[in-house]
Amino acid sequence: MIRALGSIRLALVGMLLLAIAAALSYGNPVGTPVWVLVAPLAFLAVNLLAAIATNPRINRRGGLLVFHLGLLAIIVLAGIGRLTHLEAQLEMTEGTAFSPADLTHLAKGPWHSGALEQLVFVQGPFTVDYSPGIVRGLTHSQVLIPDGQTDASGGTGGWQTKVVGDDRVLILEGYRFYTSFNKGFAPVLTWVPDGGGEALSGTIHMPSYPLFDYKQESSWTPPNEKGVGKEIKFWLRLKTGLRDDAAWVLDGKTTTGVLVVNVDDRRVELEPGQSVHVPGGVLRYERLTTWMGYKVFYDPTLHWLFGAAIMAILGLGTHFWRKAGVSLQIAPVLAAIDAPEVPRASPPDASAGRLV
Amino acid sequence: MNEVTSASGSMLSVMGYATELPWLWAGLSAYVLATVIAVMGMMRMRIGVTTIGAMTQASPRPHEKFVLLMVALGVALLTVAITERWMRLGHGPFVNLFELLMSQLWSLGLVFAVVYWRVPLLRPSAVVALPMTWVLGGWVLALQPVDTAFPPTYYNDWLWAHVGLGKFFLAFCLVGTGLAGVILLRNTQRFAAWFRHVPADAVLDALAWRFMLLAFIFHSLMLTAGAVWAQDAWGRYWAWDALETSSFLNWLMLGASIHARLTYRIPIRVGAIAIIGVFVFAFITYFGTPFYSTAAHKGVV
Repeated sequence: MIRALGSIRLALVGMLLLAIAAALSYGNPVGTPVWVLVAPLAFLAVNLLAAIATNPRINRRGGLLVFHLGLLAIIVLAGIGRLTHLEAQLEMTEGTAFSPADLTHLAKGPWHSGALEQLVFVQGPFTVDYSPGIVRGLTHSQVLIPDGQTDASGGTGGWQTKVVGDDRVLILEGYRFYTSFNKGFAPVLTWVPDGGGEALSGTIHMPSYPLFDYKQESSWTPPNEKGVGKEIKFWLRLKTGLRDDAAWVLDGKTTTGVLVVNVDDRRVELEPGQSVHVPGGVLRYERLTTWMGYKVFYDPTLHWLFGAAIMAILGLGTHFWRKAGVSLQIAPVLAAIDAPEVPRASPPDASAGRLV
Repeated sequence: MNEVTSASGSMLSVMGYATELPWLWAGLSAYVLATVIAVMGMMRMRIGVTTIGAMTQASPRPHEKFVLLMVALGVALLTVAITERWMRLGHGPFVNLFELLMSQLWSLGLVFAVVYWRVPLLRPSAVVALPMTWVLGGWVLALQPVDTAFPPTYYNDWLWAHVGLGKFFLAFCLVGTGLAGVILLRNTQRFAAWFRHVPADAVLDALAWRFMLLAFIFHSLMLTAGAVWAQDAWGRYWAWDALETSSFLNWLMLGASIHARLTYRIPIRVGAIAIIGVFVFAFITYFGTPFYSTAAHKGVV
């Protein structure tokens, strides 16, 4: 029974099913159920386990044994990885601290139990290099993390600056923060309601820049005593130094912006520090700041997966070296001695199984 | 949505005289000359007599020396072409199809030259393997040598490992395909005489599958290095994008072929067709992806 489960015929069937699953998974289509990949992988895992246990051509050859164990480990680890992973997107305003509540497009496995709540870092300024033609180059995003440690429980009370970007990922407690091409500007606003209510302060993230250079628009509806006030529309007119014909650096520090405020039919242009009274209160444009987009990824199996893959390949390489690669010349010559003298006349199956 | 990308190169103009072109032409001419010499050598051999011992001895026959010399010369000239472009643009040949084809021509020639030199048995397969470079050569010459910018996610050492290992994979596939081609051709009336001095099909078959096993090892390494690069660059090690899906299918196809070859007594000619099938799939994976995907890898910029 176990021997039958580990047959190569079943392995080939499993590979065919996995190939179909891979083709169906192309582009991560939304409607594809998870079992499309899980079923053939589970099938192959059982097949591999049975083959390792019962097939002497595998379990009596060190290299092949290690290779197949490595493949089995990869399947198991990938499964554990999906059960414990976390993926999300994040937009962080300059000067603000990371908060798990800010994560969007969150997807995580049912077994995820990381220390997300303990992560502490603060977003700093960033720059992005651009080549002529507005071709994006490297991103340099500064973040502040607690000095001397990477969690919130200890530290010396100070902060250290790290620069992360396309080629440098921020890793905290296993969580990986990757800068994305999404980044932009954010006017800092203060809202003082009529009648002396509590003032609100916050930012509005404008669309990604320079991708949506032509469309720096957003809106906000302030609260009022009755619940919801009138919608305020914003348009940000920026001076970033954007050039199409030369290299250029996107830098929030050197950028200025005029905030155009529209309420009803009224249009007001605000410089930083200026205010306008609109229905329900006073809106103050404090200053212009930036926001940086991140992709967040967590998978505790990453290093184990890499180790399993390398182990598998080393096993296969060892097997090749011992059985086939001692000399690519000598073995065929020896084989030729056994071959029929009329070269073409060899039977079709004469070499079956000689590869190893 | 992405910003203006250099992945296809189409958004950037030709920014100056492509100084690599004369060297590219010269390198490809050397490959063509090598093919012609190889074919002429085989045509001459069909009227001579050669023993199996002669086929396997270290000292090559005269035309083989020239074939090796021409392939080596082609590699040297392509090295100059790639260096010229590298120095002009400030980055390696990793970005658009023109660069990928040029670098593949270089690596295929280099690996094939080394194997041709070290494994005398496979030298007759040059008449099958070298014309493959014509396909790539003709293609690259039909493309505009558009200047490209280096995407920010390419500043990663794993890119080098991924690309380099992939080149070995394709080159070993080419070697196996050359031998498989000889097995198929010698069984046709037209070409039987060309290869009548070549060792038995069984010998070529065993050698071809050894190279395919080597290709499988390098394919596995390429996928692993690519996964590490993808994790560093885009925050995911696997996303079923066009190239990942295609290369994984190619890996499965090669793995299944090796299993079938080992376990079942598949006829040698069927095995040869399987080898060629794997190479064709690999070729489509490498060079066909731009035709059904806007970017080779998801989030390539």
